[in-house]
Amino acid sequence: MLVDVLEHLVRGIVAHPDDVQVRTRPQRRGSLLEVRVHPEDLGRVIGRSGRTATALRTVVKALADGEPVRVDVVDVDRGR
Amino acid sequence: MSETTTTEAAETSGTDATPQDVRSAPSDELAAVEAEGTRDGESVAAADDSVGDPGAPDGESAGDDDGADPGQKPGSGRGKTSIRRLEEEGEVAADYLEELLDIADLDGDIDIDVENGRASVAIVGEDGSDRELRRLVGSRGEVLEALQELSRLAVQARTGERSRMMLDIAGFRAARRRKLEDVAARACQEVKHTGQAYRLEPMTAFERKVVHDVVAVAGLISESEGEDPGRRVVIHPASA
Repeated sequence: MLVDVLEHLVRGIVAHPDDVQVRTRPQRRGSLLEVRVHPEDLGRVIGRSGRTATALRTVVKALADGEPVRVDVVDVDRGR
Repeated sequence: MSETTTTEAAETSGTDATPQDVRSAPSDELAAVEAEGTRDGESVAAADDSVGDPGAPDGESAGDDDGADPGQKPGSGRGKTSIRRLEEEGEVAADYLEELLDIADLDGDIDIDVENGRASVAIVGEDGSDRELRRLVGSRGEVLEALQELSRLAVQARTGERSRMMLDIAGFRAARRRKLEDVAARACQEVKHTGQAYRLEPMTAFERKVVHDVVAVAGLISESEGEDPGRRVVIHPASA
């Protein structure tokens, strides 16, 4: 569910919604959600001073039922 | 700066106060003060966080809740801020939020309105119970702020225009507003009584905005000082 939530939240705010990918990686505790977007949208998803990324994390955490969850915005330009 | 100054004066009079009531904010006086660069120049609430507003590249706009509030900016040529346009903003935001509720399996009704020159979207409990929705508010409203920010960006992505839509969930803002109006009114009494400036607790942009409005109606002067999250309103006597 959190993957879908995050994917929806990100798709709604970018110029290239079809290029949004969210993957979940299990961690020792909780999970890590990796967000990939079109390079042109990277700035939008991060926001000034990381403000938008913080907002995304805040909402995802609120819906995580206390389960530890991390949200990373992956810069696809740099490797991978 | 002088543009936001004008905005503030105009907006203040546009809320509840008649222009005569707003002794603290005649626009030319404020403009003059502002030009001198004294602290009172900042009493223009609009100058507060909206400075970076026009044309700023990303999501900094949430800050302009503080002062640059109800209504469009006169003279800035935002003719598109018509009712129709604001309704459209509300619809885009409501779609975005409705799908979120769907995915998260939360029940809620979404109301769209236009208030004080802004789109206003409210999520309320379906059966009169807001309990489930409080997760989307957070203990201090931080989730609500985050969702408002994202909703504004969603509107911007769709319309290409920055949005200042306001989001409320489970009546949180409405309740907070009532409480703050009370706090501000008492602080104003104190200032009138003692003739001393009164410094309030740090508040969010939305909260400071509520206080600025009360202070203007009371005929006193307010300014914001400090940086978020420690930014706070200081109320000064009218003669300051």
